[in-house]
Amino acid sequence: MELLSEYILEINHISVCFDGFYALTDVTTKIKRNSIHFFIGPNGAGKTTLLDIICAKTKPTSGTVVFNPMYKEPITLTGMPEYEIVWNGIGRKFQVPSVFVNLTVEDNMVLSLSGGKRIVDSILRTPSDEQNEHINSLLKQVGLFEKKNFRAGALAHGEKQWLEIAMQLVQEPELIMLDEPAAGMGKPETFKSGEILKKIKKDCTIIVIEHDMDFVKQIADTVTVLHEGKILMEGSVESALADKTVQAVYLGRGKE
Amino acid sequence: MDHFVTILFNGVSQSSIILLTSLGLAITFGLMHVINMAHGEFVMIGAYSTYVVQQIFVRYLPESIGSIYYFAAIPAAFLVAFFLGSLLEKFVISRLYGREIDSLLATWGISLILQQAARTIFGTQGVNVTAPAFLQGGFSIGNCTFSYNRLFIILLVVFCMIAIWFIMYKSRFGKQMRAVMQNRPMAMCMGINSRKIDNLTFAIGSGFAGIAGCSIALLGSIDSTVGQSYIVNAFMAVVLGGVGKLIGTVLGSGIIGMASIFTENYTSSTIAKAIVLLIVIIFLQKRPQGLFVIKSRNLD
Amino acid sequence: MFKYFEKYGCNLTFSTIVLVLAVMPVLFMLGILSGTSTLLFLGKCIAFAIVAIGLDLIWGYTGILSLGHGLYFALGGYAMAMYLKLQATGGNITDFMHIGGLTELPTIWRPFHTLPITFIMIVLVPSILAWIIGYFIFKTRVKGVYFSIISQALTWAACSIFIALSPYTNGNVGITEIKSIFGSIKGGANQGNLFFLFYMSLATLVGVYAFSRFLVSRKFGKLLVAIRDGENRTYFSGYPVSRYKNFIYVLSAAFAGIAGAIFVNFNGCITPSQMTISYSITMVIWVAVGGRGTIIGAVIGAFLINICEYNLSSGSTVEIWQYIIGAIFCLSILFFKGGLVGLAQEKVPLFMHKLAAKASKA
Repeated sequence: MELLSEYILEINHISVCFDGFYALTDVTTKIKRNSIHFFIGPNGAGKTTLLDIICAKTKPTSGTVVFNPMYKEPITLTGMPEYEIVWNGIGRKFQVPSVFVNLTVEDNMVLSLSGGKRIVDSILRTPSDEQNEHINSLLKQVGLFEKKNFRAGALAHGEKQWLEIAMQLVQEPELIMLDEPAAGMGKPETFKSGEILKKIKKDCTIIVIEHDMDFVKQIADTVTVLHEGKILMEGSVESALADKTVQAVYLGRGKE
Repeated sequence: MDHFVTILFNGVSQSSIILLTSLGLAITFGLMHVINMAHGEFVMIGAYSTYVVQQIFVRYLPESIGSIYYFAAIPAAFLVAFFLGSLLEKFVISRLYGREIDSLLATWGISLILQQAARTIFGTQGVNVTAPAFLQGGFSIGNCTFSYNRLFIILLVVFCMIAIWFIMYKSRFGKQMRAVMQNRPMAMCMGINSRKIDNLTFAIGSGFAGIAGCSIALLGSIDSTVGQSYIVNAFMAVVLGGVGKLIGTVLGSGIIGMASIFTENYTSSTIAKAIVLLIVIIFLQKRPQGLFVIKSRNLD
Repeated sequence: MFKYFEKYGCNLTFSTIVLVLAVMPVLFMLGILSGTSTLLFLGKCIAFAIVAIGLDLIWGYTGILSLGHGLYFALGGYAMAMYLKLQATGGNITDFMHIGGLTELPTIWRPFHTLPITFIMIVLVPSILAWIIGYFIFKTRVKGVYFSIISQALTWAACSIFIALSPYTNGNVGITEIKSIFGSIKGGANQGNLFFLFYMSLATLVGVYAFSRFLVSRKFGKLLVAIRDGENRTYFSGYPVSRYKNFIYVLSAAFAGIAGAIFVNFNGCITPSQMTISYSITMVIWVAVGGRGTIIGAVIGAFLINICEYNLSSGSTVEIWQYIIGAIFCLSILFFKGGLVGLAQEKVPLFMHKLAAKASKA
């Protein structure tokens, strides 16, 4: 039997071209299993585009993405439809909170449970007690248990972010991608998200796009800095923050 | 060869008619994301305006200048449709901003009302507009006849295209219109009165529908359902062309017009309808958003 | 007590409607109602309610606006009419075929000799067509509005084709002079047939309603709403959305076909006017005014609007009806998105609270 790869995701020479503009150029990197990997960089650097490629919201112009799940053969994600990628255990939280606004918080969670995605299942099956327990415990973790029967559209912006994160976690994915999860949250809530992510790290791998440097420092294992569609540098948090080029294009030379 | 040229001419003529009816539709859909199901009725209004203008000329003005009625009819049709379009926008369309599918339905209700109004005012029988003398007949080259009224319509379309191009790309209003189309909140922050722009744009789109009605009046009798017969092709031209640039609508109309005439020539008009629809569906397989689109970063 | 109403209000309302309908033939028998026209009309309304339920499933719940459902309705209707016509002519070639130049029964008519095959065709023909259309449209994720326009063009093209194929379909006149599947329903002697037909149709409506309510009460129903409100998010939650859309679209087409078949029995004929854009959009009006996304709203809308039209659109008021229906439709889309049911859901709780407050004061 082959040794399980150290890397859960391999991004190989991904390039994306929109009408002549290259959003990403030859991006190659690997994501370690059970780590929290940040992508940072100025706006327009291509961070969200990279996530779009991985979860198949956008097709790359060239390059491949390979996923190495725990109990299966490596899978090439490029070319798969997005819902199949979700079946393989990859979840995505979007920059603009996208929850099902006309359904209750609980319904949102039920719909996000893994498995049971076929039409027949959706008509005949109901969540098991175990699944309901799982939903409730996650809702308690993100502080939305009391609002279980609220319409999701009635939640505050930050609460919608939490709900979307919880919707990812309830899938028990192997890989989660979060696009600016701390946006719209205050310091204590951001810290709380970080602690939650650190806890689930042992069960899955997390890719995060963020601008909040305290958040990066709190939980990042590896940082990749993107600039103008290319990888500027990659390494630990300390080395990234100390790097002169990174400071020049993104961080600024202030008192960090 | 002669036969082919005749078909070609008919194809261009048909495309020009479709383009004229779909121009206004493309503008309102592109800018306000509102599908106006009453657009066909604005065409009908334009056609009836032409009829009314002709009646006025016949009754009150000496016969010698009778023929010129048509030149008065075109601006009249535009203005009547423009004014009614502006009213419609103010009271109905403005409440439907962002609700694409609902706008489709609400305007259908308006279309029912407008059709019935036409029946109440003009009766259920069709009325006829006599083409002015200089537009009757045609000229022949060899075995092909090119009728003047169809040639005139083609010229009219070209004129309208130039007018629209001028308005959209060379005028201040056009710049504001494009700003609102691409980023409404930002345009409002820049001080552009987006409500006024919406109203004017919709009114202009309706005005062009009126002009389309004016040209349709030359082609056959007018009754309350005349708008319905042209509207489906206009919609399909907009679907094909996509919502980005007017060139899309031009191409869309061209494809549908040509396809209709050519298939009709070899089969029949009913099969032509089905084939054109098939072409649109197949085309959408390759480009589901139409020929020209404006992309955005939002998820939905 | 009120919570009970909230939860079961829809079913209660529906049961009331069914009871009222079920009583109608009895009233007729007792001589309280006279003339079969009311029953025939109500029978047609039952058919309308069935197609409206299908439309509510795709539009109210899933957000797919079909402006050409008349096509599926008419296909079911024509299938039934072809069977009934063959019954009337004893399996022989009909006069319009003669006039059209045909010398023997066309192949396309042959399956309609027997009732079981006709039933299968009534459901299958619209379903297969819907499946094909749905496959090409939903798989490529064509925009919702574009789909509406295409559905419109589809019924427009199909209507032309049916009219053009007059040797086979009798063109504009349609298929006429047919009796119901239970035999003639006109005249005093055939009351039994009429009642039987009426109750069978009512039973079908109950079945369609119950099945639809079941579907939407499951996770499936929530998924439809999810697809409507956040299609991309639904894809990214792992659901093959296009398959769901196609399924519900085909189901609604099947309902429409069944409704068309029932309609023909009461109407005595089917014409291409049932296939027009106008007719199709009228069906959407029923759902919109009744209240989309509730199933019961579709039923209420179908009955209410047709009853109003029946009473208001004869003689001098024909013209006014067009204005009224246009205005009602426009206003309901603009201001009453939830239709009548939505209004009731908003106002009734307030009303009940006021009553309760008054009662506790007294």
